[in-house]
Amino acid sequence: MQTLQVVFPPTDFTLLAVILGLPLIGAFINGVFGKRLGNQAVTLMALGAVGASFVASLLAFFILRGQQAESQSAVRLTWTAWEWLTLNTPNARVPLEIKFSLDALNATMSLVVTGVGFLIHLYSSKYMQEDPGYYRFFAYLNLFVFSMLVLILGDNLPVLFIGWEGVGLCSYLLIGFWFHEDANAAAGKKAFIANRVGDFGLLCAMGLLVYYSGALNWSGIEAGAAGLATQVQIWPLGREVPLAALVGQWINAPVYVDASTLVAMFLFLGCAGKSAQLPLYVWLPDAMAGPTPVSALIHAATMVTAGVYLMCRMSGVFVMAPKAMLIIAFIGAATALLAASIALVQNDIKKVLAYSTVSQLGYMFVGVGVGAFTAGFFHVLTHAFFKACLFLGAGSVIHAMHARIHDTEASQDMRNMGGMKAFMPITHVTFLISCIAIAGIPPLAGFWSKDEILYMAYTQSVSAPEAVRAVYPGLYQWPAWAGKALYVMGLLGALMTAFYMFRLYIRIFHGEFKGWTIVKGWVDPHAHAHGDDAHAAHDGHDDHGHGGDHDHHAFDPDEPREGPRPHESPWQMTTPLVVLAALAAVAGFLNAPLIGLHVLDDWLAPIFTLAKTGVTSVDPEHAMMLTLAIPSVLIAATGVGVAVYFYYLKGGEPAAAIAEKAPGVHRFLMGKWYVDELYEETVIGAIDSLAEFFNWADRWIIDGIVARLTAGIARLFGSVLRFTQTGRVQAYAAAMVVGTALVGYYLLTPRASAQLFEDDRAGSYRVEAAPGLGYSYRFSSQLTEDGEFQLEAGDAFHDRRTTSFNLERGQSRTVRVEVKDAFGHTSKWERRIERPKTDGRPPGSVDFNTMIQQGADGRPRLVLPPGHPEPTLPDPGADPQGGAQ
Amino acid sequence: MSLLGNVLEHYVMLAGLIFAIGAVGFLIRRNVLVQLMCIELMLNAVNLALVGYNRVHVGDMTGHLFAFFVIAVAAAELAVGLAIVIAFYRLKSSVQSDEADALRH
Repeated sequence: MQTLQVVFPPTDFTLLAVILGLPLIGAFINGVFGKRLGNQAVTLMALGAVGASFVASLLAFFILRGQQAESQSAVRLTWTAWEWLTLNTPNARVPLEIKFSLDALNATMSLVVTGVGFLIHLYSSKYMQEDPGYYRFFAYLNLFVFSMLVLILGDNLPVLFIGWEGVGLCSYLLIGFWFHEDANAAAGKKAFIANRVGDFGLLCAMGLLVYYSGALNWSGIEAGAAGLATQVQIWPLGREVPLAALVGQWINAPVYVDASTLVAMFLFLGCAGKSAQLPLYVWLPDAMAGPTPVSALIHAATMVTAGVYLMCRMSGVFVMAPKAMLIIAFIGAATALLAASIALVQNDIKKVLAYSTVSQLGYMFVGVGVGAFTAGFFHVLTHAFFKACLFLGAGSVIHAMHARIHDTEASQDMRNMGGMKAFMPITHVTFLISCIAIAGIPPLAGFWSKDEILYMAYTQSVSAPEAVRAVYPGLYQWPAWAGKALYVMGLLGALMTAFYMFRLYIRIFHGEFKGWTIVKGWVDPHAHAHGDDAHAAHDGHDDHGHGGDHDHHAFDPDEPREGPRPHESPWQMTTPLVVLAALAAVAGFLNAPLIGLHVLDDWLAPIFTLAKTGVTSVDPEHAMMLTLAIPSVLIAATGVGVAVYFYYLKGGEPAAAIAEKAPGVHRFLMGKWYVDELYEETVIGAIDSLAEFFNWADRWIIDGIVARLTAGIARLFGSVLRFTQTGRVQAYAAAMVVGTALVGYYLLTPRASAQLFEDDRAGSYRVEAAPGLGYSYRFSSQLTEDGEFQLEAGDAFHDRRTTSFNLERGQSRTVRVEVKDAFGHTSKWERRIERPKTDGRPPGSVDFNTMIQQGADGRPRLVLPPGHPEPTLPDPGADPQGGAQ
Repeated sequence: MSLLGNVLEHYVMLAGLIFAIGAVGFLIRRNVLVQLMCIELMLNAVNLALVGYNRVHVGDMTGHLFAFFVIAVAAAELAVGLAIVIAFYRLKSSVQSDEADALRH
């Protein structure tokens, strides 16, 4: 450990370059050479890069832990790649550096990203085996890991933003991985555009932070966070609303908000985009169009938690904004409820998991929203394990379903499943463990993290640091009911979570397998390869539709047909399941205050010292913890119980009966609250009509007027100039001869010109004639109006190019310059020069700039020009234009 | 300005004459081959002027040097020019420059 600290000093922690660089190299090699390298080499490269990155992260984690234990305070290990640029703002010089740092928060996060990332890479190596885009998939996946690491390891917001955009790009590429189908490409586009709305918020937040806190790096923002305790005028946007007189002056009434609230809301807009919160969550369910490992890695375990990470990172800013935090907490709770209610009725197993992810992200935002950053981050960790396990389990099931169903929709539909327990025991057990974990049954991971969030929501509120509140008493204070409302919403969400997860579990793994009769006329293309090795025969991805040419076989739809049986997945796919399930089971003990464990709390405490000062709790002694945990366990058990009763004992009849009784509600939930349709009508409709207007303007104004006018002018000139283009070489040559002659004449004619150097104050003037080839010069002056020009120095032309003379005040003369070239031709130039009567200063004043010199004694001394009268103090009443000298 | 000056005058006058013959020939003849020869005449007139003027600057060979440059460039130019003439002849069975008007129509 000592050696490591010498090799990697805290201010030049190059181990970060290793962690970051390996996935980037992997992405490059797989992306550029992958097609030629073959699947084996691509697998080795991709898994090796991420695996080695994980080992390096582990090493960095332990180095950091050693140093943090030594210093008993927050340690930040930094590595500066290069300095990018410097922003000069009116308030500060803000350096933008490509700099990375490691502290307790992102060290933990990088372990999750590289660790879970590695497991999912391993899983994908089998899942994607038959895909023609195998190398492309791994290039994207490696690039994603790199971008995610940039996001979490960046030491300032711009670097984070680069990673933020990078993961957005990879997400887009992987959602639309099977871009041959329009729906997949559209889903990728939707994700990208919804994220773009959020990115706009993040950019605005960055600008505001530069202005109000004077920094963009973590330590600088934390130090300058107090600068956010000020008011910002947000209305009117300019000086006044244009045409305000038409509607009345009330529209110009200025509106102020706290800078901290503004920054926090903009940051949250970014987080809401990336982490799929209301109102921008709509992209995440559609993102399931991507391969299932992608859903597990990007759209469950890592990328979508970036928003929570950013909120933890910016905790010092967020606690300054109690009002914004209240909104964030309630948006989180509302998202959790909305998504959970949709998940109750979905039949596509990936859709259920997607809405579950949105719902769990809502919980995380409730956590960070009430200032419980550790709790929110804790849920990020546990969720990464159990949700990745659930997604991979779902992928395993879909993979197995492909044995009979070569259709994306049908192979993900839980109505076609059932009884899978018998075919895939490992998937079944790991899925069950993760379900218990997410449902919140102790002692598995989900219980601890969710319970901590609920407890914190009930007891804690954001109140801004004492010092800030003292100087800025106008800050918002949370109402007393807020905590209780959040707690109840959270419990309701937990009830639904437990129900829909067990509904999912039971309908996949229990009951009768319904896949026997599903696909009409499906014929095993490798009929000789029945049994264990049958999985090698079908495509590894769920996109592959079987050709339509089987449809002419006439089968009885209800009669079970021969065909390969569903089977357990190979070890590359089950190992990640087992590891993740184990983590989902035990990760909760990182932070289990009920039984006296608070490893994560202690580990992250130095990060959140500032944030801690901004929250208050009604239960500082944690006396209510057990009291509040009991309803949460009971409600989770109720959810599980109802699901078991509905689907295991009664085979789904009660659920169908309820749907029958309340068809409106059922349809509303099946239709996902019709949020997509709402956006279609409002936002997309508005943009479409705007586009239609611009289309019209382009066609009639741009093309019609602007383009035709310029074309007409060009045609007019063209019709005249066309006659010069005879196509005869002689005509062109004659034009050349004439042109050459004209240029020659111009060059050979003498042209007199001169530059005048005037010094009105001293009265000295100099004329310098412009030089020319073979020129000689002659100067003459006209001393009086209408007088004769008098030659200087005889009649002869000479080589000297300058002449100079002095004038008294008010005197004038006309100077003539004559030049003669080698052929004897002459030309002349004349200019009348007049010295002004006064130089515009009061008489007797002194030009101190030129007259102060250093005296012999080293002190400044006034040196007057020869013959200058002694200076007198100017009379203030005197006319400065009055009589000169 | 002794003998040398008068000689230079003769050289320059001869060069100007040859240049004028070349220029006029280029302008009034339609045969591309003759036009190429006229271009050569003009270039050689320039060569003559360069070499003639160089005699004024004793010890400085820049004029001669440039004359050689002109000869080399003229050779290259002529090679390209003759190639164009041959290609043109194959196309139109003619070497009259006013027949080369495909771009006009």
